[in-house]
Amino acid sequence: MHRSGPLSALAALSLAMLACSGSDTPTDPGATGPRTPVTMTVVGPGNFKPPHTTGELFVRGNTAYTTTWNNFQSASPFYIWDVSGTPALVDSVVVPQAQTLGDVTTTPDGAYLVVATEYNGGSIVIYSLADPRKPQLVSRFSNNETNPGVHTAEVGLVNGKPYAFLSVDPAGSVAAKLVIVDLSNPAAPQQVFSKFIGRPYVHDTFVRDGLLFLGLWNDGVAIWDIGGGGKGGSVSAPVELGRVQTANGHVHNIWWLKDPATGNNRYAFIGEESPAQVGTSSSGDIHVVDVSNPSAPKEVAFYTVPGAGTHNFSVDEANGILYAAYYNGGVRALDVRGDLGTCTASQQSTPVNNPTSHLCDLTKMGRELGIGLLDRGNPVYIWGVQYLNGSVFASDMLGSIWKLRSISRP
Amino acid sequence: MTMWLRVSLTSALALVAWLATPLRAQQPDEHAGMAGMSMPDSAQAARWHVMAQAIPVLTHAAHTAGARDLTEAYLAQPVLMAHASFWRGHAALDGTLNGEGLTMKRGELSTGGFGEGYVDRRHPHAYLHELVLTGLGHAGPLAYSASAGRGFAPFGTDDPMMRPFEKYPINHHLSQILERGLVAGAVRLGPAIVEGAAFGGDEPTAPNSLPRMRRFGDSWSTRVTVLPSPGAELQASYARVESPEQPSGFGLDQRKRSASLRTISQDGRRYFLTEWARTVEWDGDRDVEAFAYETALAEGALMLKSIGIALRLEQTQRPEEERLLGGFRTPRPASDLAIAGITQWRVGTLAVTLPSVTSGPVRGYPFVEVARLSTTSTAPTSVFSPAQFYGSSSPWMASVGFRVRYGPLHARMGRYGAALTDGTAIGALGVSPDRSQAHHH
Repeated sequence: MHRSGPLSALAALSLAMLACSGSDTPTDPGATGPRTPVTMTVVGPGNFKPPHTTGELFVRGNTAYTTTWNNFQSASPFYIWDVSGTPALVDSVVVPQAQTLGDVTTTPDGAYLVVATEYNGGSIVIYSLADPRKPQLVSRFSNNETNPGVHTAEVGLVNGKPYAFLSVDPAGSVAAKLVIVDLSNPAAPQQVFSKFIGRPYVHDTFVRDGLLFLGLWNDGVAIWDIGGGGKGGSVSAPVELGRVQTANGHVHNIWWLKDPATGNNRYAFIGEESPAQVGTSSSGDIHVVDVSNPSAPKEVAFYTVPGAGTHNFSVDEANGILYAAYYNGGVRALDVRGDLGTCTASQQSTPVNNPTSHLCDLTKMGRELGIGLLDRGNPVYIWGVQYLNGSVFASDMLGSIWKLRSISRP
Repeated sequence: MTMWLRVSLTSALALVAWLATPLRAQQPDEHAGMAGMSMPDSAQAARWHVMAQAIPVLTHAAHTAGARDLTEAYLAQPVLMAHASFWRGHAALDGTLNGEGLTMKRGELSTGGFGEGYVDRRHPHAYLHELVLTGLGHAGPLAYSASAGRGFAPFGTDDPMMRPFEKYPINHHLSQILERGLVAGAVRLGPAIVEGAAFGGDEPTAPNSLPRMRRFGDSWSTRVTVLPSPGAELQASYARVESPEQPSGFGLDQRKRSASLRTISQDGRRYFLTEWARTVEWDGDRDVEAFAYETALAEGALMLKSIGIALRLEQTQRPEEERLLGGFRTPRPASDLAIAGITQWRVGTLAVTLPSVTSGPVRGYPFVEVARLSTTSTAPTSVFSPAQFYGSSSPWMASVGFRVRYGPLHARMGRYGAALTDGTAIGALGVSPDRSQAHHH
């Protein structure tokens, strides 16, 4: 028989206070070497496990949207969650003529939801979020250029107008392409640009301040002026500013960090998506590229997790913390504030299969702050992650959605 | 149960009639047991051999993709095969036209089968399946040859089309490399044969696709064969194939190994093959192994009077990929380097082939084939659940059909020039008892 004494009560009170705090704080300063990352606190998983494999997620306010992958049916659902507390299923929407919904986002003003579809011609489907919990179909954009599928669709403002940047899959001998669509009138999206690009894929894009970053797989990362680069580029006539090959290619996704605290916009974080067996294994690193000179971007650092590979990112820019979905490696939180390209020799490593390249290793630099979802007792396989207002949300291909507490700066 | 009849009777009959049209130079009954290594003497003039085949087949698949039972009929393996020997035997031309792109565009129900964007269906092969020109010579006991064209890279075992089952084994894409633009060489000394080839690694993306010139030479293979006794054959082979599934050349590479033992009686009435093969998918950018698939297979056939009986036992691992609408296709090329899992299949297949129901130049050999399969995922956390996807972890298939054939049955398929070996065709494929019908290819 167990009796609760004063010490137990004190311990319980301490744990409760810790659990109620806004975020997790790494305690090991680790200023000059690897630190012991904290285990991120889990608020909870979604209260519903979809019969389909979960894909990407997007969260706005207290509402989250998760897509589904590999449905081999004529229609695919996405799910709507109340994430004000532990994620709770609210509703679902079935998208016809879609076997995979690989991406979901909203317009910057939150008025519209944009869902990318694959393999029945490919499209983006636009819903009104007048009621965020009840998306209403507004339009669907599809043409020969979106065939066979839109892998990702990033949405961003360029000179005040919303555009969708569609990464279209290759098909047979037809190469992959980038398609840019003007969403000024969501009821009638207008294509303004397309180009065959990527070897063999363009997988994802990132748009900010009139610059477009493109993940071109073995063609590396390209930076285009689409209105903010000073080279006369526009969304309909982009001008390439520079390009860089990161170690091992397989460039999948990008996040160009603009730190509001320091004004630093020197680094872009590149996700390498290497071979993976969904649910079981994955590979691929995060590559840090110095883009202070966009015409000559240069890889300066990387982050690797043995036995796991990265997928999508989200950055808490106010605190300088990058959260990376790491498939079977859960969620990883990295300190990305400050100088990432300067390190001691002991803080350098050699990326796999790049024996002559010595780059700063974020782990050895003590930049790894936290790990999430590896303490659950069951395996996870995290596709997407998003930081929002002190919480981190993750989509799990073996489950649904997770909500975690964010990390505080040490 | 759903009945699919994809081919109109009219078009099927027209195709068979076309395939069966005799060629003037054909000499169908003269070439049983031709020794491939031996240099024909000067008495041998130009020789042409033509074989036309088509297999009208009805297949019922229980618990196939999408947890369905399906019954479908097609004209499978409509091929026109020809071999020409000329310049006093110093040159040879092998050609095979394959009409599956017309008669079974959706592929053939074959639970467990995979390759070239088809899954649980066998894909239609390229129209120009094979066109290889070979030059042969000898120096004392050494025979040598050089070949070029589109055809089989020297790797693994014979093409399933010349083996005693209508349904291909699941391991077809692990155990053979075909329809490649290649340059190959072979030397034979006594019982030993060594082959090597350079070729383009890209697989066909459609029946009408041709090898891409810019991919030529990015892959290679080698095969060593030993013939310890008449009718017996040991082979071991190795291949490096660059990006077979990504035409642009940036997909995963393959490192393939194969070993086999094949025996056949002099009269072709007893046949046995056992093989092992392993394909490693290699991430060349990281220089690490990504995935590996292994197979072991044993098959045998014998003739009981004029009835052919064949049994095949197979265990093969295959990748599971994202599936398209209907569940039988995967995106080609895939949109990344991920797979949904690896499944392991065990299959027992029993085939019975009856004597021809026709006489004359066009023969029709009825057959019945039954396959029992079992499948499991190799990883407990895989998102692909065979039991859920098929509605059972123990699918089965049954097929009935006719092998309709004109001309001498080709004994082998997948070797050229000095690498051809002695022997006869497998009797259980259907051979007329009244005449020899074997030709090496």
